Parts: sequence; structure tokens; C-alpha cells
Amino acid sequence: MDHKRITFLLALIWTIVAVLPLFFGGTNFIMHILIMCLIWSVVASCWDLIMGFAGIFSFGQVAFFVMGAYASAIISAQFSIPPIFAVFVAGGITAAIGILVGLPCLKLKGAYIALVTFAVHMILEPVLKGDIGRAMGTGGSRGLLTIEPMHIFGYTFTTASPVPYFYLMLLVAVLCSVIILVVIKSHWGTAFLALKDSQEFATCLGVSAFKYKLRVFALTSFLTGMMGGFYAHYVGMLSTRMLGIDLFVTLMVILVIGGVGKFPGAIIGAFITIAVNELLSPLGPYRPITMGAMVVILVLVLPDGIVGLFERLFSKKQHGMTH
Amino acid sequence: MVIEITDVIISGLINGSVYALMAVGLTLIYGVSKAFNFAYGSFYSLGGYIAFLLFGLSFINNYFLVFVLAVPILLVFGFFVEKTLVAPLRKRDDWEIKVMMITLGLALFLDNSFQVIFGSRMKSLPPFLEGGFEAGDFYLSHQDVGIFFLSIGGILLFRWFLNNTRTGMSVRAVAQNPAGAQIVGIPKEFVFAATFAISTVMVGMGGILLAQKYFITPMGGWDILVKAWVITAFGGMGSIRGGLYAAFIVGMLEAFVGWYFGMTWTLIVLFAVLLTTLAVRPQGLLGKWG
Repeated sequence: MDHKRITFLLALIWTIVAVLPLFFGGTNFIMHILIMCLIWSVVASCWDLIMGFAGIFSFGQVAFFVMGAYASAIISAQFSIPPIFAVFVAGGITAAIGILVGLPCLKLKGAYIALVTFAVHMILEPVLKGDIGRAMGTGGSRGLLTIEPMHIFGYTFTTASPVPYFYLMLLVAVLCSVIILVVIKSHWGTAFLALKDSQEFATCLGVSAFKYKLRVFALTSFLTGMMGGFYAHYVGMLSTRMLGIDLFVTLMVILVIGGVGKFPGAIIGAFITIAVNELLSPLGPYRPITMGAMVVILVLVLPDGIVGLFERLFSKKQHGMTH
Repeated sequence: MVIEITDVIISGLINGSVYALMAVGLTLIYGVSKAFNFAYGSFYSLGGYIAFLLFGLSFINNYFLVFVLAVPILLVFGFFVEKTLVAPLRKRDDWEIKVMMITLGLALFLDNSFQVIFGSRMKSLPPFLEGGFEAGDFYLSHQDVGIFFLSIGGILLFRWFLNNTRTGMSVRAVAQNPAGAQIVGIPKEFVFAATFAISTVMVGMGGILLAQKYFITPMGGWDILVKAWVITAFGGMGSIRGGLYAAFIVGMLEAFVGWYFGMTWTLIVLFAVLLTTLAVRPQGLLGKWG
């Protein structure tokens, strides 16, 4: 897709989302779901950036999210930094960890990278629950139960009236999506495309795989960690249960529905997936089974996601017109 | 002290042997078809649950019958999964990530189906052999010895299959050069499906063997997936001998760390060792790039 069409799609999506509180503003439950959609749309877009565009099989996105959430909660509690700044500090910390994780990954290929990044995910739970985590103030296996709510200029956002926080999150999500769009369409994006097609050839042309891959690790883990912080200060409590396989798979479903490497797709996917997930909740224990079956069927039937489907329909129509 | 250490070594050897069986299965699919199977851990649980169901049947009272019945079930299941889920994706250029996604979906589906069908309560299998060798404080159960020899036997059988049968040789040919193998008339698609089926049998067998010592739980497979994955990466993906060495190293390491520092540290130490190895040798112990 050219950047005009992506910009148009983004503008369309965000406009529709911006007017949603007019209809649902009174129902806190739906607003809560919408805030979650916004948060996950950014996290999924970041994952799409690193996996779909940069071609790095990073499976540590949920881990970075949880790290950011814990970091922000701990910083705001222990150093009495206002949450709005703590969120960015947390982003910086996760970016640093992202670079640390990225460094060994630069030497590795394919499934090895998936393993190392997934290892970060697997280690995080025992670390947060164990002595090291408790010394840092993660609350061990009980988790953090009282996290300072977000406040800006004396105004405190509460879960009781979620509409203001929804607009704050919308602003953040719009900014993040613009950043991702700029990255994809700048020379970064071109460099990734070249590196993905043939790393050897691209390196010979002077594209530094090291520089670009490390940068994408830093950027995506910064944004993901930041969103983790926003999540923590909104929900008000954290536990290591987020590291379970459910959330990981939900993120993956978002990407499957939206389409891997089809940028605004992840955002559309987030809204559809989170909504469907909520609609399926009456199914109880059958919900994860349905989600699993959905992933399997969707990958087979809709390999490029919804955006891919639209692209196919659109190009067919164009094709028909030229004849 | 001496007896404790001997116990730790024995437990490391036995776990290592079963890990070897499972890691060889994982490295086999990766080596032959470059596909990564996220549902590998669920296949482990599946093996355990199949054995559990078979023991529920009235005419089954020993492990021989269970193995005779479970192997074909797992073989057909693996073949079917490859043909319906993985093979259609192979035509795409980004199929690697799609395979990871579809197998992750399959894992979620299977794990939660186990949870609904069998409940989240742990299930156990009867021991494979009763009794044990005793010498003073030292005790070695026949079951452990049996598990060890069955796993090693499984690996040797697999080695024989790869080196001496026609299908095995075509598997090796496809692993070395898929295009070349196709040119000389080896049915590539069949080999992919066959390796997937064989690896399913190997991990399912591991499930049946380990379920006697530990338990079967719906989510228990994730631990196994991570371990098998660590072992294959540590030994070098696609290298069967590397996987074999790595499995015993990991089994020993786990036993000693678990005994000395406590079980919570095993995963952390495992990953630390893995990361150090990969930093020095990105291709693993005996792996080749490719």
C-alpha cells in the first residue's frame, strides 16, 4: 500500500474511533473495552513493525509490555515521579532492555531469535515473582495492587469515568501510529525491505543491518513499554498472570486478523479481536478453544488478514476496469 | 552426600534421555522442512492423555498394548495435521511465520480442549515397571531404568530408520537439498508430512514415558516445548547428534541446579547457559547455518 492510502485508512479509523464515545460514553464497560483496544492496537502495531516489516521473529512483545507496566508502577511509587513522566521513563528502561535483548539476536537467525525473545518472556515470571523482583518492589506473586492513577495538571483520570482516559489513549495511539507510519515509509522501511529480501546484498550496498535492527528493537520496545505504563496506571493493579499464554495468543490473533506486515491492519485487528473476545466470554472455558480454532482457520482462509482481503478485492476491481 | 549426588546424576540421565527423544523430534522437523512447531508441547500432553484413555479401556492392562495402539494414532494425527494445516501454507513466501502462528493456534485449541475434556486436575499413569534395585540407602527403580532404555532405544531405532530405510534416506535427502531431492523423484510433500508424523510420535512417546514420573496437565506441554526448543537451539537446529549431547547436558544441568539452588532457578540458569552458548556459537554446538 502506498502511504497515501495508509494515511487515509488511519484517518478513517481514528475518526470513527474518536466519535464512538458519543454512542457508548455512558457505558463504562464498553469504554473500558475501547481503551483496551487502543492500548493493544499500539502494542500489536509495534509487533507488526518488528515482525512484519523488519522480519525479526521477536516473541518478547508481551514481556516488554509487562516490564514497562511494572517499571512505571514501581518508579511512580518509589521515587514519587508523576505517572505521566514515569510512563516515559519506563519506556526508556524497556528500550534499554530491548537493545540488550536485540544485541545477541543480531547474530542469530529465524527461529533462534524467536527462542531468545520468548526466553525473555519465560524468564520474566520467575524473576518478577522471585527474590530479585521482590527486592525491586514487584510485590512477588501477589503483584501490585495499588498503582497511582494517571494525573495531568491536577486532573486525575479514574476508572469510574473512563471517557477522558479514552481520549488520552486515543491521542497516544494516534501519535504512535504516525510514528510507525513515518518509520515504515522513511528510509528505515526501505532498509528493512532490502534486508528482508536479501541481507547479504543489502549489506553490500551499505545498509547496516546492525544499526537498523537495533533501532527497531529500541523503538518498538520503547513504545510497548510506554503502553504498558499507561495500562498499569489505568487498571491500577498488576500481576504476573499477564504473562500467561492467553494474552500472547490474543496479540497473535490481532496480527492474524489484521494481516502481518499490512500496517494499519494491526489496529483494525485489535478492535475486532478484543471485541470478539468480549463477545465470546459467555462461552466460558470454550472461549480459548474457539480462539484457537479461529487462529487456525483464519491463517488458512485469510492469510493476509482483513487488509490483505481488501487489497485483493480492490486490485481485482481495478484489474476488471482496465479490461 | 555421595548417594544424593548419584541420585541427582541418575535423574539427570533419565530426564536427559527423554529430552533427547523429544528434542530429536523437534530438530527433525526443523532440519527437514524449516518449519517450527509451536504445538509440539501440546503433542506431548496428547501422548499422555491418549495413554490415559487407553488405560481406561478394559482390555488394556500393559504398556506394550498402549504403545502398539498409541504409535499409529499419533502417526496418523501428525500426518493429518501436516497435510491440512502446514502444507497449504508452504506455497507462501512468508510461510515460516504463518506456520508458527497456526501451530500456536493449534496449541491453544488442544490445551484448552484437554482442559475441558479431562479437567484441570492432574492425571497420572500407572508405573511402567514395579520395584527397583536396592543397595543400602541407594535405590534405583526399575521404572527409571526402563524409561532410560526405551528412550535410548527409540533414538537408536530412529537412527537406524534414517540410515537404513528408503523413507529415512529420502528424509535425509530432503533435509540436505529439497530441490535436488525433488529432481531425483523423491516425493517432497510426503517426506515433509512423514517427518512431522514421526516427530509427533517421538514427542508423544516422551509424553507417555514422562507422565508416569510426573503428571499430565493440560498446560504442562509448554514447559516441554521450551525445554525441547532450548535443547535444539543449544545443540544446533537440524543437528540430531548435537541435540542428543545437548539433551543430556540440559538434563544434568537441570538436575544439579534444581538440587543445589531449587527448582525455580532451573529455567533461569538454562537460559543463561543457552544465551552464553549462542553468543559464542550462534549456530549452537554442532549446528550449521542454513
